[in-house]
Amino acid sequence: MSTERLRLVLRDLAAAAAFAAMAISGQVPAWTIALFFLALVVALTGRRPLADGRLSAVALLLAVILLYAAVMVEQLDLVVAACITASLLTAQRMLSRPTPRTTDQVQLASLLMIAGGAVLSADLLFALCLFGYTALAVLSQGLSVVAASGPGPFPSTSRVFRPLAGGLALAMAGALLFFVLFPRLSWNVAARRGGASLGGGTTGFADGLRLGGSGVLKSNPRVVFRARIDPDPGTDALDAYWVGRRYDTFDGVQWSTRGRPSPPVRQVTLGPVEADLVRQEIDLLPAYGSRTLVALDAPVFLGDAESHQATFTVRTELIPSGDREVRLLGPSEHVTYRALSATDRAGPAPIDAAEKARRLQLPKYIDPRILALAGTLSEGAVGDRAIARQLERALQTGYGYTLELPGRVKDPLADFLFDRRQGHCEDFATALAVLLRAKQIPARVVVGFHGGERAAGEYLVRAGDAHAWVEAEVDGHVLRLDATPPQHRSAAETGLTGWFLARWEALQIRWLDRVVEYSLSDQNRLAQRFRGGTATPDRPASRKAGRGAGVALGVLGVALLIAALLGRRAAAGDATVLGRSLQRLLRRRGRLGPGGWLDGAPVDEVELLPVREGIARYREARFGRRPLGPGEARRLVRRARQALRGVPSTSPTTPERPASRA
Amino acid sequence: MSPRRERLLRAWRRLWKPPRRLRTTPAGRTYLVLCFGVGLGALNTGNNLLYLVLGLQLSIIVASGILSERCVRRVEVRRLLPAAPRARSPFHLAWGLRLARGQSFALSVAEVHPVLGVAVGRLAWLPAGEELVVRAVATAPRRGPVHLSAIRLATTFPFGLFVKIRDVEVPGDLLVLPGRVLPPPEPPAPSSGLGLEQRSLRGLDGGGDLAQLRELREGEDARRIHWRKSAQLGILLRVERDAQPQPRIVLQLDDRAPAEALDGRCEELAARAELLLARGAEVGLECTGGLSVKPGAGAFHSHAILQALARAGQTEEAG
Repeated sequence: MSTERLRLVLRDLAAAAAFAAMAISGQVPAWTIALFFLALVVALTGRRPLADGRLSAVALLLAVILLYAAVMVEQLDLVVAACITASLLTAQRMLSRPTPRTTDQVQLASLLMIAGGAVLSADLLFALCLFGYTALAVLSQGLSVVAASGPGPFPSTSRVFRPLAGGLALAMAGALLFFVLFPRLSWNVAARRGGASLGGGTTGFADGLRLGGSGVLKSNPRVVFRARIDPDPGTDALDAYWVGRRYDTFDGVQWSTRGRPSPPVRQVTLGPVEADLVRQEIDLLPAYGSRTLVALDAPVFLGDAESHQATFTVRTELIPSGDREVRLLGPSEHVTYRALSATDRAGPAPIDAAEKARRLQLPKYIDPRILALAGTLSEGAVGDRAIARQLERALQTGYGYTLELPGRVKDPLADFLFDRRQGHCEDFATALAVLLRAKQIPARVVVGFHGGERAAGEYLVRAGDAHAWVEAEVDGHVLRLDATPPQHRSAAETGLTGWFLARWEALQIRWLDRVVEYSLSDQNRLAQRFRGGTATPDRPASRKAGRGAGVALGVLGVALLIAALLGRRAAAGDATVLGRSLQRLLRRRGRLGPGGWLDGAPVDEVELLPVREGIARYREARFGRRPLGPGEARRLVRRARQALRGVPSTSPTTPERPASRA
Repeated sequence: MSPRRERLLRAWRRLWKPPRRLRTTPAGRTYLVLCFGVGLGALNTGNNLLYLVLGLQLSIIVASGILSERCVRRVEVRRLLPAAPRARSPFHLAWGLRLARGQSFALSVAEVHPVLGVAVGRLAWLPAGEELVVRAVATAPRRGPVHLSAIRLATTFPFGLFVKIRDVEVPGDLLVLPGRVLPPPEPPAPSSGLGLEQRSLRGLDGGGDLAQLRELREGEDARRIHWRKSAQLGILLRVERDAQPQPRIVLQLDDRAPAEALDGRCEELAARAELLLARGAEVGLECTGGLSVKPGAGAFHSHAILQALARAGQTEEAG
């Protein structure tokens, strides 16, 4: 690939990375993505159809006018419109005649896209895009500057890249240091928070649970919330149920909830707050995408919810709907709250008659085979608890688990129980609840999450951990029943991709914690730490900030070292490297003269032609002002080595040790 | 001024003169505006990612400064002046660039001079251990000595956002010879201040053996006529010998004239001197200011005459 072509490819790829930094936010319209992608493909093939650029410039101007008209009528966000403008401008410049000016314009418009991405997205992918853009833009711009600087010998690309790589490392380290140390003093005039990133909110608790869904959520590895649990279970994979919402009314296809929500409150108490409770600090991430709060089964208290805005945090109120659901008053993409849960359900859970009737109600139309099946499966069991357990076991063992379901069917429950005999957690939970009701045991379906993966002292729960199970009232007590086969309760295994995504999500959490949420208070703690101040073990943030600064300084040190080494290597020049290599080869073979072959002895004393050529060339390059060409030193050393391989070594043998002291 | 005082003065000036200068390119200006915008956005929104982008942008500026400094710091430069530059005619300015170690990219070289500084030589890459010559085409508007104090090395490497400039003090003088004009057909009038005096001829008849006889042309000296042969043939023949006599001409210049008029006269005399020398005459120069060149012939002497004409009446540098 020619240098010019390489330069343009790097430039276009840098623009692509910058565009990706915006596109991962999920807020850029699909048509913009398609248009930019098309322009990128055309540009990468080396075609520049907009060489003239006048017509396309007019079209671009019209598009920008339309975009801002859409902003005026509130059809489009201003930042998104600016991002689209930058991407259209970049695409137009990419397809224009490649001149130094257009290259500069592409780079600067790409920088605008990066800034737009920083506003729109808070995803870890943004960091990758930023790094990719910086690296590609630095290399491309360096090549452009050298190419545009006029005549003379043009260096090989590796020679240009070497100092640029040092500069890139330096820039990265400097950026990190600036990020850590620059005071976070904000005017908060136009604060805006990054969204839920590509894919938006994923869990989305709905008002109803409709059977017949495909269950794609089960294979989604995105972390939707994280929780710090006290006392810490200390296990890597948590076997626990996180209650989100309870449904009590089933119409044959869909579960729903009846009951009116209470007025907003700060704290919601659902049961007796006793001493022996599990305390949870839960952090709902932007990917959560729902206002329903979750807590470990069985929650007795939820409260102290805080909604984290871009530059401030505000207490938010909760709306309880009995024990069916507790939801946030308003939407928020990042919420933290506290919850307390009872570890066992030893105590009675009395319910009133109306509630009991609701939990026993069967759909108006129910397949008579289901009622018969309830009798068949519970045959032999005595007592409600035994019947419930037998039905649970029967479903676990007698039915298969699948996420690949057909489209909507008229009676999904009958379809699951008698035709397909395969389904996912919602099918199992519904079947069990209906069978229990058929046996006059009050039951309702609960949706939430199952599981949790330990990371950095916290438990991460993924969208794929979404689950549904049943709560039955047996002998005055609430009994949790889960008919789904145990191996399919948590997130579906997705092999290597799943493993990778899981690690990625863990990184994402750290990114959000240490970069996106980095604040002035972290900096204060860092300053105190450096003053030898009052850092205490119960201040993890101070440790975090200190570590961040340490990492930044370390990276800066390494970058400076690399730059210095690269500089030294570049300064030494190929001639010195060639000389050293040849000298080393000759020394190994014992053919290095007493004064050093390369510093004065006649070249003819080396009988091998390739070695002689190498030495002569070294001298020319070092003292004769005839520099080596690209890769010439490597070639010469290789040839010398090959030539010396066939020559017996004349190095003096090591003198034998005396066998014994005289 | 004593040398010691001059040295001190130079050191004082150097103290207050920055060793490098930085100029932004158009792309650099846009980049700085973007930096400002991103900074403003970061302060307004408190968005940490904008702080990260801003940090990267500022670090890029720092890295750019370091890399460009590496490009211009160790470059050794010497000036290769043209032998006979003429006023108003393009000539080549050249500089020899050499780097002991490392490598430099995207270099541009120019003289630190208000007129000649326009001519910029460019070089994409300067490897270590090799002297590369960079040329640029320059034009001096006037004759006369041009004092060159320093050579300006600049680079836009690595990102083309800034031009890093280093002035290397290399004192030197360039003498711009009078511009080329057509010689006037007639000798100047004595009152014009532009004198042309034929002082003497070396022998009436030249020297050496008789070479040939040829017809006398109009305006030729009648003393060269071979009368006997002319009488025999009935036409005027003149004698030509092996060694022809060389006319010895001393050009006279009144160098007290105003600068522009004097430039014109110098150019006219230069053209005349070149013409006469080309015809084989011995040409000298005498200026009223005291400058003089003894009559002589040949290319070297032509250069001496032109140099004298370039310096005639000059109290300040030209250009």
